[in-house]
Amino acid sequence: MTTTDGLTSPRPATAGASRRRGRPGAPAVAFVALMVVLVPIAVTTDRFLTLDNARAILASTALVGIAAIGATLVMIAGSAVSLAASQTATVVAMVFLATLDRGLVVATLLAVLCGVVVTAVQGFAVGYWEANPIVLTIAAGFAIGGGSVWFSGGTPVNAASGDYDVLNATPLGLPLAVYVLLLLAVLAEAVLRRTTAGRRMYLVGENRAAARAAGLPVGRVTVVAWTFSGLCLAISGVFLAAFNTSATTNLGGTLTLDAIAAVLVGGTAIAGGKGSALRTLGGALLISVIADVLLLRGYSTGAQILVKGVLVLAVVVLVHLRGPRGSR
Amino acid sequence: MSAPTAEPAPGSEPLVTVEALARGFAGVPAVRRVSFTVGAGEIHALCGHNGAGKSTVVKMLSGQLAPDAGRILLDGKPVALRNRQAAQRLGVALVDQELSVVPALTVLENMQLGDIDAGFFKRRRAALRRCREVLDDMGLDRVRPDQPVAALSMGERQLVEIAKALSQRARVVILDEPTATLSEAESRRVFAAVRRVAARGCAVVFVSHRLSEVLELCDTVTVLRDGRDVATRPAAGLTVDGLIVTMLGEAPHRLEATRRPDPDLTHALRIGGLHVPGRLDGFTLTARAGRIYALAGQLGSGASDVLRALAGLHPQATGSVELRDRSVPFRDPVGAARAGIAFVSNDRKGEGLFLGKSVAGNLVATRLDRLGAGGLVGAGRERRTARSLAGLAGLPADRLADPVLALSGGNQQKVFVGRSLGRDDVHVLLLDEPTRGVDIGGRAAIHRLLRDAADAGLVVVFASTELEELLELGDVILTMRDGRVVSTYDGGANGAALMRDMTEGKDAA
Amino acid sequence: MIRRPGPRPEHLVPAAALLLVVIAFAGTPLVTGTALATFDVYNALQGLAQIGLLALAIGLTMIAGEFDLSVVGTYAVGGMIAVQAGQSSAVLGLLAAVAAGAAIGAVQGGLIAWLRIPSVPVTLAAYIALLGLAYALSDGRSITFTNREAILWVDQTVAGVFSPRSLITLGGFALAAVVLGTTRLGAELRAIGGDRRAARVAGVRVERNLVLLFTASGTLAALGGGLLSFSFASANPDPGLRPLLIAAVAALLGGVSLAGGRGTPAGLLAGALSVALLAQIVAVAYLPDYSTQLFYAALLAVVVAVDSPGLRRTVARVRARTRAVEA
Repeated sequence: MTTTDGLTSPRPATAGASRRRGRPGAPAVAFVALMVVLVPIAVTTDRFLTLDNARAILASTALVGIAAIGATLVMIAGSAVSLAASQTATVVAMVFLATLDRGLVVATLLAVLCGVVVTAVQGFAVGYWEANPIVLTIAAGFAIGGGSVWFSGGTPVNAASGDYDVLNATPLGLPLAVYVLLLLAVLAEAVLRRTTAGRRMYLVGENRAAARAAGLPVGRVTVVAWTFSGLCLAISGVFLAAFNTSATTNLGGTLTLDAIAAVLVGGTAIAGGKGSALRTLGGALLISVIADVLLLRGYSTGAQILVKGVLVLAVVVLVHLRGPRGSR
Repeated sequence: MSAPTAEPAPGSEPLVTVEALARGFAGVPAVRRVSFTVGAGEIHALCGHNGAGKSTVVKMLSGQLAPDAGRILLDGKPVALRNRQAAQRLGVALVDQELSVVPALTVLENMQLGDIDAGFFKRRRAALRRCREVLDDMGLDRVRPDQPVAALSMGERQLVEIAKALSQRARVVILDEPTATLSEAESRRVFAAVRRVAARGCAVVFVSHRLSEVLELCDTVTVLRDGRDVATRPAAGLTVDGLIVTMLGEAPHRLEATRRPDPDLTHALRIGGLHVPGRLDGFTLTARAGRIYALAGQLGSGASDVLRALAGLHPQATGSVELRDRSVPFRDPVGAARAGIAFVSNDRKGEGLFLGKSVAGNLVATRLDRLGAGGLVGAGRERRTARSLAGLAGLPADRLADPVLALSGGNQQKVFVGRSLGRDDVHVLLLDEPTRGVDIGGRAAIHRLLRDAADAGLVVVFASTELEELLELGDVILTMRDGRVVSTYDGGANGAALMRDMTEGKDAA
Repeated sequence: MIRRPGPRPEHLVPAAALLLVVIAFAGTPLVTGTALATFDVYNALQGLAQIGLLALAIGLTMIAGEFDLSVVGTYAVGGMIAVQAGQSSAVLGLLAAVAAGAAIGAVQGGLIAWLRIPSVPVTLAAYIALLGLAYALSDGRSITFTNREAILWVDQTVAGVFSPRSLITLGGFALAAVVLGTTRLGAELRAIGGDRRAARVAGVRVERNLVLLFTASGTLAALGGGLLSFSFASANPDPGLRPLLIAAVAALLGGVSLAGGRGTPAGLLAGALSVALLAQIVAVAYLPDYSTQLFYAALLAVVVAVDSPGLRRTVARVRARTRAVEA
């Protein structure tokens, strides 16, 4: 963190800001440009404009989307990213499946509690101790991953009863997880915009030192963000378990990076202070749509992943070009 | 406009000539017209109280700012100092107020960092010898070249910074407040080194608040006031008091305050034996509601640390703080805020405003929990509060939606102060340099705000280095130096006495 | 006041970690009842070869206060290119991989340095893209390496405990140590990581150095990936995040911090050796596989605690409160 001498430097920022006003932001231009390219390609793609395909897109977005909604709050509150998402979702799935014999509700509650506690503890270390979130979550990932192998004995955890089937229901043809995703996105957006805790997340993420000096409860706000993220991860993990009916140690797969990619494509800045849950939802959907178009047009998995990476990179560059230049 | 009276070294052209330099910021002139010359071997002081334009002159001379008018000549030839590197190549070295030594590197590595003479490959043996020499020159014989700078005290870091500037093959050395954070003994070492550098034929420009130091060390003194050079004299004939009078010109008049101290002291802030290791040594004050308390002290005096400790930003502080007869948990910012203490930092960008957020968002930032029930923020209430606060702080209502970084310094500061106003749960307002980087108009408005806040029954305590501000605003003025209170003026303060107390200590009078 | 020149964290952490692990390694016969063989040392060094260059790559960027997540993507792409271009000539394959790695690093370094974008999102995006590239290059399948000569050569024993692969890895560390030790680049990297503003004021060419740095990290990662796929006789398009995380553990144990400004190649080597030895101990002592993960977690927990400013403030607050009570 560099401090600036108040005597000398207010000018450049002022000039930059007034110059920016009045012309449409680069991201808006870029979004329109992307749509101009994407929409014709999509609608001319065979089978893209079918109800089944729309369902497939939504279904494939659901689990990553739910985790991404939680990751959005963490990033907005200035804690960058958690690299332990996959492991957390995995361990939640294991707890859920192992305790299903006590009934769906108990199993779900226990599993969600597990995910929330594990994540909130990390939030505590980041919020109150200012632990580096990246190092901390690498450590947590190892601890959770190692712990889950220890408890499961390294063998797949199978469902202790068949109660999970309720979670795989598809009301109106859409998986339950899609409804949960939409619900969570709206809920997160409301929290961010209209609650004290949510609004403070933006402030803490924008300028942590200022929030501290102003006497805002930086630690508590951070813990709330991480707890919400833990809740989302846990829900994601429960659906993952219900879908797979058994959990191995690498069940979580690429959830960590997929969630972060969705948040970044939604335009949330990694440094915090800016972003929105609904835009993350948009980011997750955009990634799914592009992957879907590429799939329908016969491109390989490699091409899909490559395009996703390039998309994330482009958005990151655009978001940064718009925002004030950091000292780094 | 007085002509330089100091004789340059006989038979030689002055090494540095500054001709009618001028520079403004956003239309506000900081330097109007400054001229002086420095000869080879001369130590030339720039004096003037805060806002006189010293720092701006230094920045132009060291290549950090381009002048709006006037020119700089080295050896009689006009030069364009486009940036630091260009100035370095022409032999202009700078010791900045802000440290530019990197704590992560060793002393030797810092000396070599960015040295334009150093080659790509390290020549360790020669460099070590040279570094050792320079350190010995500074009296830093206990500092080893391979020691990381992080292990040195702040004073030693400052000395290393100076040693670094002196070790580069500079012909002009500018020192901007090099002794502000140094102890007496450390200052002596700096003086000795500066004298040696001058004896080698360098021109030295020395900026300092400590006037007796200036008179002891320097050959010539140029006094700046309101961006002009008002006098250039040989130091030999000057006294501290005479210098102070020249610096102040006409003594500032104090605006008469309403002065309604709370008689029964029940709303007072009682500070007892506040101690911060290495910064503040036993600060005691009973501050009454309705009055404005001014802490007068230069960088490192402890004035700013009083405020930071009260705001909970010095967790290692000890002592006792009571507000309205209740103990304040002052080692934690959240506790201090909950007790009713609001803090306005001197670092508006780093530790104050949320620059990317809107004016409205910043105004309500610290009272979100009061804008609705059950942890919710009511949109209508938020809008109304922001609008009324903008009115209270004198901010244009049509700028509420703008990001705060688009505002001028003055308006930014109004946002910063305004966010603590108009709430019944704030009883103490602490401000560190309340008008730093603020233009004249904004300054008057902010002073008005603070007076209104005191009249509304708040305890207002501010720290400042600006004499006018201290005199205009302070009902009670405490001067500080080296972590201790030097003197307390409950009325009857004058600029000369304040300046003497905060720069020289009481016994220097 | 001059503090006694105590050991610095960038020396203390790797030295302590390495010492502990070496003692544990030497003590494994007490648990297993079988004496250590030179083969165990060879294996440990093979483990070093597997993560060493990756740890060096990520560690160098961390010294400068950056964090290159993409190294594991470059690792995968490097392995893929080395195998596909090296079926007839292994040297050609490695050269192609290294050139690709350098180019990948240079592009990212350019974005990070000149646009001043934080390195985490840029390298994260690059990692995803590189993963896609590796898939695209291989159609999502492991590619078998058929150059038997090269396969046998990279892992043959040299002087009992080394192999060409571990020697090349050690050479990478030595080269980094020499470059950073004898030129001003070492001090400049630490200055950039420690205090970027001061480095700029002092006249360090920050942008150029950053581009150079990311080019180096890309090169090292691609070389490591290439050597690994020669050794495995196949290239895997998706190594997962695990190698990255282990390399980060090695770098952090090597005395660098995510805040930057700290660390040396020698420390990074000690960190990488510690991690490799730890894995070997677990293998020799037949400990369950998850115990390595728990070891890493415990070690990182210490690193995190040491580097947490809020925790230090809490300690200062508690101490002040106790002092106040005593007084």
